[in-house]
Amino acid sequence: MSEAIALPKSLVLPKPLRLLPGIALLFAIGYAGKVTEQVIRDYGKAHHLALPNIEYVLWAIVFGLFVSNVLKVPAVFKPGIATYDFWLKAGIVLLGARFLLGDVIKLGRVSLVLVGIELAVAIAIMTFIGRWFKLKPKLISLLAIGSSICGVAAIIASKGAIEADDDDATFAIAAILALGAFGLFAYPAIGHFLHMSERAFGVWAGLAVDNTAEAAAAGAIYSEAAGKVAVVTKSTRNAMIGFVVLAYALYWASRGQAQTIGNKAAFVWQKFPKFVLGFLVVSLLATVGAFSGPQIASIGNLSKWAFLLTFAGVGLKTDFREIRRQGVRPFVVGALAELTITVVTLGLVLAAQSLFGL
Amino acid sequence: MKKLSLDWWSVIAALFTVLLVRIGLIGKVGF
Repeated sequence: MSEAIALPKSLVLPKPLRLLPGIALLFAIGYAGKVTEQVIRDYGKAHHLALPNIEYVLWAIVFGLFVSNVLKVPAVFKPGIATYDFWLKAGIVLLGARFLLGDVIKLGRVSLVLVGIELAVAIAIMTFIGRWFKLKPKLISLLAIGSSICGVAAIIASKGAIEADDDDATFAIAAILALGAFGLFAYPAIGHFLHMSERAFGVWAGLAVDNTAEAAAAGAIYSEAAGKVAVVTKSTRNAMIGFVVLAYALYWASRGQAQTIGNKAAFVWQKFPKFVLGFLVVSLLATVGAFSGPQIASIGNLSKWAFLLTFAGVGLKTDFREIRRQGVRPFVVGALAELTITVVTLGLVLAAQSLFGL
Repeated sequence: MKKLSLDWWSVIAALFTVLLVRIGLIGKVGF
């Protein structure tokens, strides 16, 4: 009879320490991306060569993808790598220092209108294509929620509320993630080709990319200004998560296939992304002059360091083998719908750019 | 005590960092 070997208690580290290896890896990969960008830029200057300026964001993601898909990430790093979401949210809160509240409201107003249109369009397209491909109804709901609002977080949030299967949730998540990884490279290329303004590209990235970390990355790859705008636009979209998930939960409850929601206001509050509130608080503080100029610069740079860890995590967490294992059909549906949403949101943003000077 | 979500922890950590900058415990940060 074989017996499992138990680790002596002294070897099991407390939870915070277990995060350190992964966080160190995030930092190493992110920093490697920064150094690579700098080295290439310096080389080009020294030799009077016009080398393509590949942002550190892209390098960090590529290095992360290489480590997770070509090499293999040992288990000891995994808890720390998962903190990339924490760094993203903290980075967004810190980013508030670089936005005056008036600008947030202005951008938020434009984003809100475009987000409203994008939500309606994304849900309609995903539902239509999902039915055309005869996917299970709750899987269609999850894909619609994932593509309209917020990718993985929204899918996980709604899985419980609409009582979907684990399998359906996994399919939906895999489809959204694979498309997100592809979008990181495709979107900036399209933006440059169409000579989009930084603001317009940032809004497009915030509307079309389904994962907040990837929306921030896609914007930042284009330019720093576009990255900031992408974050605010995506955050506006995220703020809608409670309302959209509630609507779907009520729909499935009315068909007797999910629990009824008692306190709807509490439900919406519970789902509301709190980091958006943190962002607004810091923005308010900056607006009323709570910080000196150098302090704002420092807070802004701390935000960039936090995002650096996030971008490294985006690459590290993308596992192509796992995505391939999930199957083709939901992926095809997701891809078709995302492509359509990409084109529609691009049209919306280009129209807003020429009509309202976005 | 109710466990705080990741969202809340990220807000707390960021606001604490902002405080440290404001009172001068964190100095100039480059990038």
